Amino acid sequence: MSTQATDSFGLSLKQLGKKGHSGHSVRCMQGLPSSQVEADTSRMAIGFYALGSLDILGTVNTSTTDVDRQSWIDWIWEQQSSGVYGTGFKGSPYMIGEQDVKPLQLAADYSEFDTPSLIMTYTALLNLAILRDDFTRLERPGLIKFIKACQREDGSFGALPSGGEADLRPLYCAFAISSMINDWSGVDIDKAIAYIRTCESYEGGYGQTPYGEALGGTTYCALASLALASKSPSVTEHISAQHRATTIRWLSSIQQTEGGFSGRTNKIADTCYCFWCGASLELLGAPDVANEAALASFLEKCQFQWGGICKAPETQPDPYHTYMGLATLSIYNITKGNAGVDPSWNLPSLHVSWNVTDETAEWIRKHLSSKAGQ
Amino acid sequence: MSHVSGGDMPGKPPLYCEREDWSDIVPIPQYDGVNPLAPIFYNPEYKDATDYFRGIVKTGELSPRVLELTEKIIRMNPAHYSAWQYRYRTLLAVKAPLDVELRLMDSLAIHFMKTYQVWHHRRLLLTLLTASPSTATTSKPLPDAFDIATSELEFIARVLEEDSKNYHTWSYREWILAHVDDARLWLGELPYVDDLLEADVRNNSAWHHRFFVVFSRGGKRSGASPVEEAEVLQREISFTKDKISLAPNNPSAWNYLRGLLDHTHTSWGKLVVFVLPYTQLQPTTHSSDEVVDLDNPKPPAEAELPCAAALDFLAEAYVREGGEGVQKAVTLWKSLANEHDTIRKKYWEYRIKEALASKLV
Ligand SMILES: [Zn+2]
Repeated sequence: MSTQATDSFGLSLKQLGKKGHSGHSVRCMQGLPSSQVEADTSRMAIGFYALGSLDILGTVNTSTTDVDRQSWIDWIWEQQSSGVYGTGFKGSPYMIGEQDVKPLQLAADYSEFDTPSLIMTYTALLNLAILRDDFTRLERPGLIKFIKACQREDGSFGALPSGGEADLRPLYCAFAISSMINDWSGVDIDKAIAYIRTCESYEGGYGQTPYGEALGGTTYCALASLALASKSPSVTEHISAQHRATTIRWLSSIQQTEGGFSGRTNKIADTCYCFWCGASLELLGAPDVANEAALASFLEKCQFQWGGICKAPETQPDPYHTYMGLATLSIYNITKGNAGVDPSWNLPSLHVSWNVTDETAEWIRKHLSSKAGQ
Repeated sequence: MSHVSGGDMPGKPPLYCEREDWSDIVPIPQYDGVNPLAPIFYNPEYKDATDYFRGIVKTGELSPRVLELTEKIIRMNPAHYSAWQYRYRTLLAVKAPLDVELRLMDSLAIHFMKTYQVWHHRRLLLTLLTASPSTATTSKPLPDAFDIATSELEFIARVLEEDSKNYHTWSYREWILAHVDDARLWLGELPYVDDLLEADVRNNSAWHHRFFVVFSRGGKRSGASPVEEAEVLQREISFTKDKISLAPNNPSAWNYLRGLLDHTHTSWGKLVVFVLPYTQLQPTTHSSDEVVDLDNPKPPAEAELPCAAALDFLAEAYVREGGEGVQKAVTLWKSLANEHDTIRKKYWEYRIKEALASKLV
């Protein structure tokens, strides 16, 4: 690592490929090839990466039509479904048959094998906000019941109420949803925070489950959850001074010489970890610790020639890494004080713990958070 | 594939809609709305199989052919959690031999090791197979939990040969250890980690696993005496020093050392003698009459020095001493910022700022 000079990341960045990234995102929303079939149950999340990218690029209204946006809103609401565990959103209608359809209220009763998911519910709410829906169709009491049904005895959350994975990712979604709807009655916060603390790693950061290896993505989930549950804007009330210091050090240490962050110690740099780690530093109140010039030049190299951002240079782009790359640049605005950087790299600011632009976060506050208790 | 492939038919196996033995099921095509978000252009095999899956779920049928159908879907989309859930329900309903299911899962785990559901299903099976008194249906008499877990650990080792850092695989290994929680299983883990670190000293998952076994989860169960605990600590410090001397610029080993010192509330100052040679510009020359200090192995002659991680460690040890130590730490951080670890210049400057600010308080 030692001798590479900072200047070798000379801050001269050509125009950001906004048009291409926007086009890539729109194409993904219009359709995915059969090779992407693993996304069948989680299309709502793919939609979020694509819509989230357009939101950051400021092209939601210029790259899609009014008709498209309205029909996507309707499609998202169609995924809201109710049943014994309460109300949430599914990732897609992959279990819904043609003859089951009653317009705009699919499968009012889901089966045990087709429950909504916390992760899909979180991304559905963000999608609706980006599309500027007013949330009047949201089943609040059912949603709170659903969140409650997903919390486990040890304080963690499962993505599904009926079993399956339980770790920091769905826990984060439960916290994000509760703070967006401004109602925490579905969450046992103390238990959940105790669970988060058992995921603290000796390296700094957090594993995915208790005693797990420190990982960038779940470190973000832990810190963002702590931030959302805090009364103050910082996370310091739920993290010891020592673990905070160790985590800042560990995050800094996994910024690789290529400029990007890796997700774990001794792994290679990846665009998505630029977000997870960069955002974690921001949540810890230490964003200045990142080498943002190196970070930006890594992301520049990860841009695909025909649009979209890849996980590493010379690989294939996808909506997830496209979004993560852009979201990183929304946190780390490298146009400030760097004359050599094209102004196109100046992207709108991000609400880091919800992972959406500040402008959309404002929409959520106005149309969702302020309606609590109604 | 076990019972899915098209037998002696050349080419592709027939679709379910072409099969006589499925003609009693009404396939249910998927509804997708007027203008769906991110629709997938399914291939005919996936569309066919999921049409029949929706049909089966509607009738609630739990039968051996459901196992065939769900396997077919899982092989095309291992993240299809409804297919997994329905398969599990069916296995229980038809009292399918779970040891046979586990062997089928061996090949799926290697194929789809990055898919969470593969490992989750395996956990469900192992939970049943290790339950006591046994409630699981099997083809052969069931060995006890220890034997089952032993063969699981062997299987996981084979998967880790394909990808020695796979997060799901490691989580599953740690789950088995904690779930069965047998002292004999825990004992085997250190030699296993030794082998992995022998093969790749930078494998952070193996280092993490060592911490899991010795200190975090494994350490919780030992009930060791203070003398034994001191021996373990000494053993781990010596082990890590040796590994650092093999590859000084290995953050995994340094993180392990830092982690174990803090976990056991051991003073960092004790390691300064060991660390100092790694912070020098030149390897210290060994004169022939010098007594070799086995407790503090020196960096190899070809090492790239000074080692940034050693400077980082030394500064941390100094700043914890307080007083004069803070200034010594600041000097080291400056050398890291300006010379030895310039990509992290801003981090080292942040450390200087923080240390000087707290000194003023
Ligand atoms: Zn990635």
